[in-house]
Formats: sequence, C-alpha cells, structure tokens
Amino acid sequence: MWAILKKEFKSYFLSPIGYVVIGIFLFVFSIFFYLTAIQTGSVDLGGLYYNTAFYGLLIIVPILTMRMFAEERKTGTEQLILTSPISMIGVVLGKFFAALGVIVTTLLISFMYFFIVRYFGSPNITVTLVTMLGFILVSAASLSIGMFASSITENQIIAGVITIAFLVLSLFIVNFSEIFTNLSIIDFYQKFPSGVISLTDIIGLVSFTGMFIAFTIIVMQRRKLVK
Amino acid sequence: MIRVENITKKYGSFIAVDDISFEIEEGEIVGFLGPNGAGKSTTMNMITGFIEPSSGKIIVDGYDISKKPKKAKRQIGYMPEGVPLYYELTVKEFVTYMAEMKKTDKKERKEKVKKVLEETGLVEVQNKLIRNLSRGYKQRVSMAGALVGEPKVILLDEPTVGLDPKQVTEIRALIKELGKTHTIILSSHILSEVSQICNKVIIINKGKIVAIDTPENLEKKTVQGNSVYVTVEDPENKMDKIKSKLQDVNEVKLVEENDDKTKKYIITTNKDIDLRKNIFEVFAKEGITIFEMKKSDATLEDAFMKLIDANTKEESNNQAEEKENKKSKKEKIENQEEKGGEE
Repeated sequence: MWAILKKEFKSYFLSPIGYVVIGIFLFVFSIFFYLTAIQTGSVDLGGLYYNTAFYGLLIIVPILTMRMFAEERKTGTEQLILTSPISMIGVVLGKFFAALGVIVTTLLISFMYFFIVRYFGSPNITVTLVTMLGFILVSAASLSIGMFASSITENQIIAGVITIAFLVLSLFIVNFSEIFTNLSIIDFYQKFPSGVISLTDIIGLVSFTGMFIAFTIIVMQRRKLVK
Repeated sequence: MIRVENITKKYGSFIAVDDISFEIEEGEIVGFLGPNGAGKSTTMNMITGFIEPSSGKIIVDGYDISKKPKKAKRQIGYMPEGVPLYYELTVKEFVTYMAEMKKTDKKERKEKVKKVLEETGLVEVQNKLIRNLSRGYKQRVSMAGALVGEPKVILLDEPTVGLDPKQVTEIRALIKELGKTHTIILSSHILSEVSQICNKVIIINKGKIVAIDTPENLEKKTVQGNSVYVTVEDPENKMDKIKSKLQDVNEVKLVEENDDKTKKYIITTNKDIDLRKNIFEVFAKEGITIFEMKKSDATLEDAFMKLIDANTKEESNNQAEEKENKKSKKEKIENQEEKGGEE
C-alpha cells in the first residue's frame, strides 16, 4: 500500500493536478474569507471551511479522482499494479489515501488563515481544528464516491461527470424528502463548524467512505473475472 | 516452475482459451507462438494473475495464483503487451516504484534498481522522463520493471514489437542473456524470433495448444521428404510434363509466378538423394533455363504453417488458381482483340 500511496501522491504534484486542487481550494476559501472575515469582521473560521466544503469539493473531488483507475485502465498500467504482489485492498487504499493526502496538504496550507485572523482577533483553535477534522471526513466520503466512479469506467470524463452528479445530488437531495438525510454527505458536516464532535456524524461519514471503498474493491476484484 | 492445468477462459459464449495444460521447467525459455487473437496474451494474463481463468489451475513455483496470489506474484516479472508505463516518472523512479511494489527489501532496493538499470542499458537515461524516451528505450524500461526484484519467472508479451532491427537484435540478446538465470516465457508471432531464442515452443491457435516441442523437433516432425526450389524461364511450358522425365520425383508444384515471367517450382522426392544434379541435366536437355536453384531447409515457418494454416493455405491456393484462370482468360480475350485490330 505504501508504494502505491507514495507514487500516487507524488504523481499528483508531478502533474498540474495537485497545484490546481490547492489553487481552487485556496481561491474558494479566500472568497469566503473576504466575505466573512474581512467584510463583516467575523472570526468564525468554521463557517469558512463549511462553505468551502459545500462549493469547493464539487470541483476538487472529481479532479482528484477521475483519473485514479480510469486512466490506468486506458493506458494499461493497471496490469503493472494488478500483477504485483500488492493486494487489491492495498491498491485501492493506497490510491484513496494519496488523494486524501492532497486535501490534507491544502488544509495545512489553509491553516495560515488561522494565524492571520489571530493577529487581529481571537479565533477559537478548538473549533477550527474540529472543523478541519470534519472537512477531512467529508472529503474522504466524497473521494470514495469519485474513486468508485473511476473504477467502473475507463473514460475519465464519464468518471468525473458521475462524481459531480452524485455530489450535487447529495447536496440538494434533502430538499426533496427527509428520507434522504443519510445520503447527504454535507448534512453530516453541519455540526462540526460549531465545534461539536458528533459521534453520529463521524460514524455516518466513515461508514459512507468505507462502503464506497468496499464497492471499489469489489468492482476491481470482479474485473479479474470478466476482463 | 509453472504448471498450467486445464485452464479455460470464456467471454460469454466466446472461448478465448480452451482447456490448455502445460508445464514449464526451471531455466527454460519458452515461446508462445500463434497468430493474432490465438489466446497468447490471455494465457499470459492468467499466469500473471491479472485475469482469473473461468476454470482450471495455475501453479507458479508451488503457489496457486488464485489462492496465494501474493506469494505467487512475487515470483513473477511481467512485461505486458503495448508497454504500459507511467510517463510522468523518470526511468529510475519507475524502476524504483516497481521494486517497491514487488516488496523488495528496503536496504537492498537501491542496489537492485541500479543493477537492473545496468543490465538493461538504461544507466545513461535513468534521470530522463519516460515520456521523452524513444520506443526502444521504453521497451527496455518496461523490461527493467519486469526484471527488478529478481523474479524467478519473467513473462514478456511481444517484447520486440515496434522496434527497429537493431533494437530487436539487442532485445533478443538481452532475453538470451536473462535466460541463463531466469525462467522466461515470451509470446510472439515472429517465428524466427522464437526459433532463435527459445528452447521450447508452444504453438497456440484458436485457444488450443497445437504443439509443444523444441524448435528443432518441430521442424523435423513437420517436414517430410526433401525438396528443391527452382526458378525457371519456361516459355514453351515444358514444366507441365517434366515430372515424367525426372527420376524419383513425387511432385512438381508451382509456387509462384514472378513478374519477369519466371516461375518458381518446388520439386519433392521421398528418397534421400540430392535432386539438384538430376534437375540441372534434365532441364538443360529440355531447354528450360534455370535462374535459381535452392535446396529447401525445413524451417519453423513451415512447421507453423502446416500446424496452423493447413486449411487456410488450401483455400488461398484455390483462390490463386482461380485468379490464374481468370488471368489467362483475360489474356486470351486481349490477344484476340489485338489480332482483330491488326486485321
């Protein structure tokens, strides 16, 4: 798993993808930083992360995940991975954590805003950290969907479109009926920005992530039989 | 080293590989030979564990590839068809990555990578991006990826496709060199390649094994009698009746008609004699000019054709005859027209 994780993480920064993701994240983050911190003088960083997750992940996640398996399948490099002694679980988790690593990296960069705000006011460090934890979990759940989409097709565009469609649907599906509450990823993130660590939400997000990682592993395992 | 037991691979109702069994001993260089679409790559993909057979068993170095994939795959180095590589990495990064995936010991990794780079002649380009390499070098990088980690078995799927002649010779030499220390399976549809490199040939056609043997034995087995190729100029069509004038000859068969109006025949006998002297004397007497005469050596190509293409060859011969008939008819018509014009 480590070999895959290391190489995938490096690949993100050997191509423009890693920098584009960081750029988009900071762009969206800065817009909300301007709207809240600068215009209204708020020191609430939690809301900033929430809004970035709401709008930013829609773009960031497909960029990170669409090529994961689709590209390897198209170029044939998946043969190199799948004939290596690494188990399928290792392969999938390696790729997943590499993508999550990029998001964690951007989060670390975004932490500079905390210090900027602290210079002028007194933001709450606990709330900020809890929100960041939540952000990682929400990203993980979104990435797992994107990864799954990438595993079922060899066309990156299709993988990206499926991911965006699912994420958009999960944002607004609650508006249709309360039944879908548990399908809405962003819903699980609502309590984190106020500094509350809710076990229900954490379990919800982690199990959501686990489910789609498992789906991806199953799809990849099955491909051995049908390919 | 590798034991394949009754493997079958089905895609829906299409059977890509049909109940194949064979065994490969340690240190052998085995060539998979067959026309395109015969099931070579599918078989190799199953041996490497990339795809699962519909039924049957594959044992690599004592481990079942389906049940103990980690242990079995560790013994295998695979160079897939089409040379898939990560273009954004440098040569050294790629080979190191492959070494990591093969779970080589961390302390020895650097040295192993270095050794493989030397073996495959990649030291000079090790810091170049794979994207910028020529096809021949890409092939070497792919090979280096298969070699690193000292696997006992190396599978090479069409290792010389798309290379220029010089590169082909280099890669072949490299494979031969590797064969001294590894068990190698390579697939190819180039016959000369297989007969040069391999000491065992498995011929596959339409998902079935047609023959397993050494290249020499295959050549011996499939070619009966001895024969001579002659290219002659024969304006009076005496070749049609020449058979009765030659002693001990079984068959005189037209092989091809050249553009310069010479014809190439194959003359076969069952007896162990040299026909050439006899042919020369008889032809001279008959006024047939010999342009070229050559004793035919049995080649793997003949064996291959006989084993695989028996039917298609007949068909194509029939077609050729039909073409000839049409041709001669056309010529007749043209001649008549010319005569008409003269009158």
